[in-house]
Amino acid sequence: MKVFQDLLETPLNYLVEQAAADGRIPIGYSCSFVPEAFLMADKLFPVRLHAPGVAGTEIADIYLSNFICTYTRSLLEFAVDDRFDLLKGWVFVPSCVHMQRLYDNLEYLKKPAFSHILDVPRKVTAATLAWQTEELQALADKLASHFGVDMSHDSLNAAIAQWNRFAAVIQAIGELRKPPDPLITGTEFHRLLMAALVSPKDLILPKILDFKKEIEKRDGIGKFRARLMVTGSHLHDPELIRVMESQGGLVAADLFCTGSIPGFMPVEIGMKTNSDPIRALAEHAFKKTLCPRMMEDFDRRLKTIIDTVREYRIDGVVIEIIKFCDLWGVDSMPMVAALRKEGIPVLKLEREYAPGGEGQLRTRIQAFIESMGK
Amino acid sequence: MTQKYVGGCDVGSTTGKAAILDETGKVVASAIVPSEIDPEITSLKALEQACGQVPGLGSYKNLARIVGTGYGRNEVPFAHENISEISCHAMGTFYCNRDIKTIVDIGGQDVKTISIADDGSVLEFAMNDKCAAGTGRFLEAMSRIFRMDLDQFSLLSLKAVKIIPVTAQCSVFAESEVISLLARKSPPEEVAAGINAAVAKRCFSLLKRIGMRPLVTVTGGCAKNQGLIKAIKKSINMEVAPLPVDPQIIGALGAAVFAGRSGRG
Repeated sequence: MKVFQDLLETPLNYLVEQAAADGRIPIGYSCSFVPEAFLMADKLFPVRLHAPGVAGTEIADIYLSNFICTYTRSLLEFAVDDRFDLLKGWVFVPSCVHMQRLYDNLEYLKKPAFSHILDVPRKVTAATLAWQTEELQALADKLASHFGVDMSHDSLNAAIAQWNRFAAVIQAIGELRKPPDPLITGTEFHRLLMAALVSPKDLILPKILDFKKEIEKRDGIGKFRARLMVTGSHLHDPELIRVMESQGGLVAADLFCTGSIPGFMPVEIGMKTNSDPIRALAEHAFKKTLCPRMMEDFDRRLKTIIDTVREYRIDGVVIEIIKFCDLWGVDSMPMVAALRKEGIPVLKLEREYAPGGEGQLRTRIQAFIESMGK
Repeated sequence: MTQKYVGGCDVGSTTGKAAILDETGKVVASAIVPSEIDPEITSLKALEQACGQVPGLGSYKNLARIVGTGYGRNEVPFAHENISEISCHAMGTFYCNRDIKTIVDIGGQDVKTISIADDGSVLEFAMNDKCAAGTGRFLEAMSRIFRMDLDQFSLLSLKAVKIIPVTAQCSVFAESEVISLLARKSPPEEVAAGINAAVAKRCFSLLKRIGMRPLVTVTGGCAKNQGLIKAIKKSINMEVAPLPVDPQIIGALGAAVFAGRSGRG
């Protein structure tokens, strides 16, 4: 487990450094609507942008107001501190207004040789799927022209196959969280998953497979008082999950950008998509990303949470929201009411991007578990 | 010693509280001591002081069961169990008056609102986030500006005929705003009432988050600030139900009730 912890200590870890030294091209990205497999073509590899251990955002606060969430401010702070300098470029999505302002400021303050904002529609229809396919094609052309990388269908199909192999392993480990006596804690799972999202997949996969073998030999992980599902804003530091689990709340399922539900279903190539990998990736991004930025998608998100609660025998749902996150902040209001209507206990937690205030958090989680009679 | 006793210990950021119940569930002793740096020492002092009031009990070691609560609950090594202060305040209040459905608990470092179910468990709760505004620490800082203790500050605010609103929510900005108001010779009692009104407003917004149901009561050390209680009544447009015991020991009392039930069972 320590290997994954170590990989999360810096924004660009030693595996990224190793791959870059081998002539490969690290591309940062901020949002799940950027298909990871797309950035795995040829010599490219994706690195999820995160700001581990951010201690303050003094410089970023000059450019972004205090009402902008601390995730975006933390990324800007790290960027101006040269912490992302190893990246050869980045791809952003106008996921929310805060992200758009971050991108604007990065363009002004720290523009890398390659930067791109991938426009993603806010509705899923046949027309927007076609739009998204064109957007990805434009990005593919730009990457090919800038880096001289092969973004052909064959190259993308190979990247998708590689990503699918990785996703299948993550899915299989995720399945180990389902039984009443699971083999892996939520903290371990999120350390592993987050480490995988910030590392070149081929270099981290052997470590993940070793860990999988290790946990499959376990008898179990001990007793927990309740099984929790966590959903909400960007949750990059597994510390929040560790604190929840320290109070007896096993985090057995999740639904957030860097969680596993439903993010790691394989990309379907050649079935519905006439073997067009770009269209398959566009379709996949729409299907696997349940983000409140999307319009008229509330019912699908709600249904996924309710289905997960049943499938994973969840006792209560924690909705965690980074302060000033408009998307999850607004979405959580009807979500809390809808889940309670289904008889599902819900705790809404407001937090900052960087973990802190452990005492308060412990009290809230413990009281939540107690209120469920556990 | 034939009689069995159980204890609850609430280790707060400002004070440690202990309550002792006998076998019939009657409160036989309680104590409030200032918090030490080490929560273990605070809990020891509070429990020993309370146990000393019970003839024949002697030491906390003779208690049949101890439940720890409060922010330092994990640091009470001799507690048989620890339960969150949210559940304990709900249970302590339920023990005192089963008609009370909503609590505002104003402690040293946080403010909580709690909705109580018919069996004394927690239906819902809300807490202030990472901010000291509206907490006991905030009121302490404000009373220091007036060179008063909290009791004097409370009495002062009750004398106000008018209220001068204090707009800043942040403790640091509120402090500078109050200093400016006093420097401009604003009547101190009206500024003090403005401070209590600002805290009451914050409590009201937390109450709205959980759905306020009557009867409403206030627990925690700040419940002794009558100026604040007056402001809360005005803010919620409802009476504040009195408690038959010191509102500051409600958390410890709830912990003792849980101890008497052998935990939450």
